[in-house]
Amino acid sequence: MEFLAYFGDVFAPVNFGLLLIGTIGGLILGATPGLSPTMAVALLIPFTFRLEPAQGLILLGAAYTSTVAGGAVSAILLKIPGAPANIATTLDGHTMAQKGEGARALQLSFLASAVGGVFGVLLLIFLTPVLAQWALAFGPSHLFWLAILGVTVIGSLDSSSVVKGLLSGCIGLWLATIGFDDIMGAQRFIFHSSLSGGINVIPALIGLFAIPQVISMFAKGRRRLDAEVLSVARHPIGAAVREVFGRLRALSIGTITGSIIGLIPGVGGQIAGLVAYDQAKKLSPERAKFGTGHSEGVIAAESANNAMVGPSLVPLLTLSIPGSPTAAVLLGGLLIHGIFPGSDLFDNYPDVAWTFINAMLVGQILMCLFGLYVAGLAAKVAQVPNNVMAAVVLGLAVFGSYSVQNSMGDVNVMMALGTGMYFLERFGFSAAPLVLGLILGPIAEANFIQGSMIANATSSVGAYFFTGGLNLVLIGIVIASIAYSVWMELRSRRVVTKDDAVAKAEAAL
Amino acid sequence: MKQILAAAAMATFALAGAGLAEEAYPERPIMMMVSYGAGGATDFQARIVTMTAGNEDALGMPIAIINKPGAGGRVGWNWFATQAEADGYTLGAYNIPHFIAQSIEGGVQYGAASFEPIANWGADPAVFVVAADSPFNSMADVVDHAKANPGKLTFSGAGLFVGHHIAALQLEKAAGVKLAYIPNNKGGAGAMKAVIAGEVLGGVNNLSDAFRAREAGNVKILGVFDLERSDFLPDVPTLKEQGFEIDNASVNFRGVMVPKGTPQPIIDKLAEVVPSMFENARVQGKMKAGGSPMHVMTRAEVLDMWAAREKTLKDLLAGL
Amino acid sequence: MRTLPRTQHILASGLVAGVGLAVAYLSYTQEPRDAFLFPRLISTVFVVLALWTFGKAVLGRTKVGNGLTGAELIRILPGLIVALVLVYGSAKALGFYTATTGAFFILISLYDPAPHGALRSWVRRLIVTAGFWAVMYGLFAVLLNVFTPREIFF
Repeated sequence: MEFLAYFGDVFAPVNFGLLLIGTIGGLILGATPGLSPTMAVALLIPFTFRLEPAQGLILLGAAYTSTVAGGAVSAILLKIPGAPANIATTLDGHTMAQKGEGARALQLSFLASAVGGVFGVLLLIFLTPVLAQWALAFGPSHLFWLAILGVTVIGSLDSSSVVKGLLSGCIGLWLATIGFDDIMGAQRFIFHSSLSGGINVIPALIGLFAIPQVISMFAKGRRRLDAEVLSVARHPIGAAVREVFGRLRALSIGTITGSIIGLIPGVGGQIAGLVAYDQAKKLSPERAKFGTGHSEGVIAAESANNAMVGPSLVPLLTLSIPGSPTAAVLLGGLLIHGIFPGSDLFDNYPDVAWTFINAMLVGQILMCLFGLYVAGLAAKVAQVPNNVMAAVVLGLAVFGSYSVQNSMGDVNVMMALGTGMYFLERFGFSAAPLVLGLILGPIAEANFIQGSMIANATSSVGAYFFTGGLNLVLIGIVIASIAYSVWMELRSRRVVTKDDAVAKAEAAL
Repeated sequence: MKQILAAAAMATFALAGAGLAEEAYPERPIMMMVSYGAGGATDFQARIVTMTAGNEDALGMPIAIINKPGAGGRVGWNWFATQAEADGYTLGAYNIPHFIAQSIEGGVQYGAASFEPIANWGADPAVFVVAADSPFNSMADVVDHAKANPGKLTFSGAGLFVGHHIAALQLEKAAGVKLAYIPNNKGGAGAMKAVIAGEVLGGVNNLSDAFRAREAGNVKILGVFDLERSDFLPDVPTLKEQGFEIDNASVNFRGVMVPKGTPQPIIDKLAEVVPSMFENARVQGKMKAGGSPMHVMTRAEVLDMWAAREKTLKDLLAGL
Repeated sequence: MRTLPRTQHILASGLVAGVGLAVAYLSYTQEPRDAFLFPRLISTVFVVLALWTFGKAVLGRTKVGNGLTGAELIRILPGLIVALVLVYGSAKALGFYTATTGAFFILISLYDPAPHGALRSWVRRLIVTAGFWAVMYGLFAVLLNVFTPREIFF
């Protein structure tokens, strides 16, 4: 119950102001097609330099939460998922909007998001301190496997092809080894002077997520954004509240699926939404109505993608392993202020950690309140023309990556990675596993080296890495996730992945 | 003729200008590069000792800290030696023995000759820690265990060719045993976690971090790698008191330097003003509160210390 | 139309496989050995997966990825060139604000669906550009105090 003691801090004027800015800004950014939560948070990082650590995290956390929820607005009204996490929402949400029930769909999605989100953050609050103590049980071999698990899970589940997903992960792991190695201090793969300090994660993230987006906006050419904004008829909020809680099955399936998926490092929001949608459909007696504007579909998808937010920070705050690209960006925001998350975070910086978590809790509720009232407006603001959007994002990417370290080399690396990623994406490679490889690579390597050194001094390397319950469980998950994806690919009945859904959404345009 | 005159005039102006620039130094804010991440001990202390730079009796201009972390400091020092401008507006923080040991090991573009020291502000000795529930209660216990199990006594430290590693090498040499030193990539904090979690049997760590971990009841401190006991830990004997011939070569000295080629008048001015900044009462109070031992040395003293350290380290690392 | 993506896939996966082989070669030959232990591990997996992908592309069995059509490439190129010139040339040469604002104006003009003959739309583009400059300057120079390279201009 320690978190209650820090609730007052959330309502300090500066903190609360930042929370409001983050929430409202996040809703608008989220509603803007093409600005994913990770990208929004990465572009925000430079603005947190001048703030106190807790304040910076409040801004980032609020933006993270509400971009995920804001994405539902364009998913419902424009049939363009504002973020990958909202793909499942388009399935029923847009159909509802076409039937003139746009307001109902929006209200349902924000209420479901809030319920899922609050549950997720509560899970974070109660689970983190418990797991933080347990975190000491994770030695080098376990952390090594956990990092590998993060890369393989996202590589195999999140892309259309298992081999290409894992290959993207490998490319990321290799990029992470560029520069001086952390332990020996030897120079590796430095083929250009911009790389002598290694690849800095924040500019790399900005490049990998923002630049492909900019280039695909170029690819649309001089086309008007002719997606039609559906008009929103009024709908009583009371009825929406009753409906959300009346659909308890969909709500609880969404919330629980989202929370569990969030806990696994490497799995992103889009999977949470799609899996929850799938499960809710399977377990519903009204199965046939899904896809025709059925409210259960919206509720399950939206409660899941927001329930994922809280638990996705658990591995970061306890083991300092960022479980998702967004968590990695938050880690960057912590490290800039010299805060190493980990088992002792709650002992050393309780004020920072708890204020941040509490702000996420309050943010969920603010997000819901503002979402209900400004959703329609947000959809209009989000109608920035393609050409301006592309130029703004490019400008922010250049300035943002420069200001991380005042280094032109970072900007060059950012652009090179981003351009390369665009072309790779055209050939079926996805950015998410590559990014996780880049982020988890140093963790995997350092623990691999330390583990082998300890193993060489005490027992054998094989015994150190391949025995013990925890090691075997982690290896089991790695193998299971690959085997499952390969099996599904062979039967070519894979669940809809991000790429397919985006392709479908683009084809429909 | 006209051109020559113009050139001569320009040269005169340039010379006068340069003279003036040194006279008026500093006329804009100064940057100080720290080759470790924000929040680490070096960064934390650098921020405290430079916070009074803007005062009228000091430099009259603030010093901004820029972090260039990576590879145990190599990234930052490489940048400082090769790319930093030697105009007096780019200072750097040094860590001894780290950068000298790294230059002896090789693979970097700097050495003691690449930099001009200004002044030293702190000296943080290494200590030997074991987990609170460890059977070891003195350095003798540790060494006996290592003698019975050669090469199997694992202990952590903050990396290779840093103070902790030097201390480890000194211990191996003085006790005549083979130990398994496990460098950690997360610095002192990561190395400490490995000790507390029982991943390794012991560890070399910073005195300030070990002091805090002992207050929390997590570790026992068995010895200090310095010539004298520390004010923070009066009850912990030095390694020398416990019968090991170990001097202060591993003590982590921190201070301010500039790149080679910085104009001599600027070096002189800095060497005169900077030590007085460190003596400021507010700085001293904040450093003490943060558990960071101060040790102010002037430019001349630091030059001697660098030379002495280079010699010791060359001998020590020659056997590697 | 079917053959274009196949050739492209062979090229793309060939390039990735080439990078993989280079990484593996370097990892197994460079010294010190200990520092390249982990790169060896990952580059081995890298090469296996990359060759697998390359093989599938040669056999024409690649299932995902649509490649690039010529029309798309033509639409991308002008914007990409402006972006690359900004990052690798003009940002440093002209100064950050001038270069970025210039690139911004060129980009929104290039990709604007509004008519390029009318004065009205040019005025609008200029106003949007001025707004962008003001926001960037306000955010980065005033609020964040970032010292960006200021060369010929600023």
